[in-house]
Amino acid sequence: MDPTHDVVVIGAGCAGMRAAIEASDSGADVAMVSKIHPVRSHSGAAEGGINAALGNASEDDPVKHAYDTVKGSDYLGDQDAIEILCNEAPGDVYELEHWGAVFSRTPDGRIAQRPFGAAGEPRTAYAADITGHVLIHVLYEQVMKRDILTYEEYFAWKLVIEDGRCQGVIAWDLLNGGLKSIGAKTVILATGGAGRLYTGTTNAYACTGDGMALALRVGVPLKDMEMMQFHPTTLSPTGVLITEGCRGEGAYLLNKDGERFLVRYAPNAMELASRDVISRAEQTEIDEGRGLDGNVLLDLRHLGAERILERLHGTRELSMTFAGVDPIYEPIPVRPGAHYHMGGVDTDVWGQTGLEGLYAAGEVACVSVHGANRLGGNALMETITYGKRAGRHAAEWALANTTIDVPASVEADAERELKVLLDRSDGERPWRIRDELARTMHENFGVFRREDQMLEQGDVVRGLRERYERVVVEDKGDVFNTDLTQALELGFLLELAECMVVCGLARKESRGAHARPYDYPERDDESFLRHTLVSWEDGAPTLDWRPVTMTKWQPEERKY
Amino acid sequence: MQVALKIWRFDAVAGERKLVDYEIDAPEWVTLLDVLDLIKDQVDGTLAYRKSCRMMICGSCGMRMDGAAVLACKIRMYDIAQSGHIPVISAMGNMPIVKDLVTDMQPFWGKIRAMSPWLQPGYQDPGEKEFVVSEEQMDTIHKESLCIMCGCCVSECNSMESDPEFLGPAALAKGMRFVGDVRDHATVERLQEYSGQHGIWDCTRCYFCQERCPKGVDPRDAIAKLGAEAMKEGIDSDMGAKHAKWFVTSSKTTGWLRETELVPKTQGVARSLKEVKFAMGLLKHGKVPPPIPPHVAKDVDEARALFDLVSQQGRGGAAGIVQGEHALERLEFEQGGNPDRDPFGEGSFPEPFLPGQGEGEEEAES
Ligand SMILES: Cc1cc2nc3c(=O)[nH]c(=O)nc-3n(C[C@H](O)[C@H](O)[C@H](O)COP(=O)(O)OP(=O)(O)OC[C@H]3O[C@@H](n4cnc5c(N)ncnc54)[C@H](O)[C@@H]3O)c2cc1C
Ligand code: SF4
Ligand code: SF4
Ligand code: FES
Repeated sequence: MDPTHDVVVIGAGCAGMRAAIEASDSGADVAMVSKIHPVRSHSGAAEGGINAALGNASEDDPVKHAYDTVKGSDYLGDQDAIEILCNEAPGDVYELEHWGAVFSRTPDGRIAQRPFGAAGEPRTAYAADITGHVLIHVLYEQVMKRDILTYEEYFAWKLVIEDGRCQGVIAWDLLNGGLKSIGAKTVILATGGAGRLYTGTTNAYACTGDGMALALRVGVPLKDMEMMQFHPTTLSPTGVLITEGCRGEGAYLLNKDGERFLVRYAPNAMELASRDVISRAEQTEIDEGRGLDGNVLLDLRHLGAERILERLHGTRELSMTFAGVDPIYEPIPVRPGAHYHMGGVDTDVWGQTGLEGLYAAGEVACVSVHGANRLGGNALMETITYGKRAGRHAAEWALANTTIDVPASVEADAERELKVLLDRSDGERPWRIRDELARTMHENFGVFRREDQMLEQGDVVRGLRERYERVVVEDKGDVFNTDLTQALELGFLLELAECMVVCGLARKESRGAHARPYDYPERDDESFLRHTLVSWEDGAPTLDWRPVTMTKWQPEERKY
Repeated sequence: MQVALKIWRFDAVAGERKLVDYEIDAPEWVTLLDVLDLIKDQVDGTLAYRKSCRMMICGSCGMRMDGAAVLACKIRMYDIAQSGHIPVISAMGNMPIVKDLVTDMQPFWGKIRAMSPWLQPGYQDPGEKEFVVSEEQMDTIHKESLCIMCGCCVSECNSMESDPEFLGPAALAKGMRFVGDVRDHATVERLQEYSGQHGIWDCTRCYFCQERCPKGVDPRDAIAKLGAEAMKEGIDSDMGAKHAKWFVTSSKTTGWLRETELVPKTQGVARSLKEVKFAMGLLKHGKVPPPIPPHVAKDVDEARALFDLVSQQGRGGAAGIVQGEHALERLEFEQGGNPDRDPFGEGSFPEPFLPGQGEGEEEAES
């Protein structure tokens, strides 16, 4: 065993860094392990903002925030977790500001707040269109201030379980090569989402659901894995996010004939309807043959060059760079793309999983505050509030317990397993499997779910998993071997895909992101006001259920 | 389309460096990063480079194309491939190479750390609320806040090439982010720190950083702002600061730059004695005017008026730095395209309409 720490945080995005800072301030010796440098984490790509009832733009309070979140979640969110989030959010945002976050301001010098989809009040605090960027840098500044150790460019591959608790992690050192084991009294997973399961996604290459798979492999269940949110305006073909701000400025969504099709789906709100409604409308148009090469069009032309240059400059740059389309003259091809995973590692309100010593926070976790549908601006808030809570609890536990044991046999087993993979020279390289997985998930487990397609996808994934057993890594070297880490990531993704399919089939209703218009078009609170819980047993997923925690609010119809 | 690249491969273990040709079939929309991905998948799995967001925000993919630093995910390949040009891709400059296009960023981060890059609010206590900061005050550091720490500027920095310990554009821009923040109360300490050896005044003002920065941070302007703030605080003992000050004094008093006095004013009399021989040579060849009597420009009043104006406007310090607003790199997106082209003209996508309004152009809403 190499080094040991009280707390090891795997992942250094907003959730991971916030957890590490809190653990450090609680007096623990803490280290982070991250496969990319902390500021490269995908939290930095968040544009819109972070929700807290500061009341700077209107009369607002945490109860209103909680109600909006409960309703937005299509009542699948756990209300105790939501109340904690909304109560602690204002203090947590002020703290970020005190650390130096460059928030946009109101004329009287307060943190500015903008309206966001499905929120009753303008409560999304923001920093121009780079909120995530600003937060990730302010957190990294605080990490540097505390001199928190980061195992940079270390790829976490296995959790160490000894004596029925999690006692460390085994990671591949990208810069120098070789497996390193890092012992810890408590481990916090903060590895972010798994958008790379889909062809079109707003997520970074690093978002491969590693932490979910790590937990799954040590017997910790994943919750609500069928709940993947699709964002309605992602740029075709790559999936880069086109901000909701375009529609805020008055952009139209058109089908191939130039028709503003939303009039048939959301005649009042039109382009400003909620994310899931628009995504479904777009997909219907595309499925019924009124799309253009699998896309619909986001038209900014009528706004005029001046307004586009002034207000939507970033969007123009993205669409010219990634689609070769100048929105002053041509509409932008967009389609729904995988954006946010509501599901994840099952935790309680302190980030604890069912396994002693193992915690999770951020997008990798499912507390659950987002239920079946996340509201814009709530994900960043969750990374901060629940990152902090997991950090505090993990530190307190670590300081009260003394031993760490990473048996040599665990290290030897990992070495052996890796050697088998690296020694294999005959077979298929992973990229075709990766591309097939992402394409079929998009086709068969996308915005709409049909029984037959989900069944088919189950077969597809099992077939891909078989092929994966014989996969070949071409790079045998020690230095910066991303060929190896990408192969390991694919292994994670395949298991998660299978879990999602199992949960999707079992949820025989339509709720939030899980839409089954062909067989179960309605929400069914009688049977399905509960979470799916999926575990991995003998190489296959098994399913269980858990009731939703309700405090103040009974389910109502979700209308906007 | 066919896309061809030449890539400088580097194998650290064998110490081998070689230029390798690649050609691959790619969709028209690809970026340089996408092409690297295709090569890694289909041609050579050992190719190493960094990537993550592929949307110009994470700062992973800095590398050189034809000798100039770029973000690989920001370079659209269509025009390059069509022109038949075969770009040469290599790792960023001014940093050790780890493998192929991957550089060792530790020295880069070391310099960022050297700036004490965290807010130091002193004894201020805003209590349960945020600090009150005006929109204007917050905007002051907007550009510096855009930095994604990609290293493209550092890769191209001339000063860094001759002095590897020079703090460099990214770190200094980070420094300005705090000096310009009204919530920070360590301004003087910071300026003293940054004004030392390898600091603010070691920049040669070549503007390469500004030109190559993919995010419009304008790091050279940030350095100028730090210099101006330092002088405002009276932190001007560095030769670079004295040099700059003499420019101002000289042009204010005579309207000219009095070059003969520049050296003693900057380096001090004792040190400049060493330069006497050199100066005499210049004088002999008519390269500098004789120092006595001082030559006063006819329109010296204009220079003085300009100086007074800037003082009246209270634009001492960073507020006086307004140059280089548009680095070349960004111009392409800041222009409004072709003003003669009609977005709804012939060959364009049809005008939007609402069903029930008919599909005619007159009825279309715009
Ligand atoms: C384009 C976009 C825009 C968004 N906009 C908003 C918004 O406006 N408001 C909002 O609230 N939410 C937004 N979201 C959602 C939100 O940004 C994310 O859910 C959130 O930032 C996730 O943070 P995280 O800390 O959990 O994970 P991440 O920031 O993704 O960090 C994951 C970390 O884990 C590390 N890691 C992963 N796997 C491993 C491994 N195997 N070994 C070691 N380290 C590993 C990575 O290196 C990284 O440091 C947006 C999301 C996207 C994609
Ligand atoms: S202007 Fe200064 S900091 Fe920028 S590249 Fe040139 S020498 Fe370096
Ligand atoms: S200043 Fe610009 S080029 Fe330099 S690191 Fe920051 S974003 Fe990159
Ligand atoms: S991949 Fe993130 S900046 Fe290029």
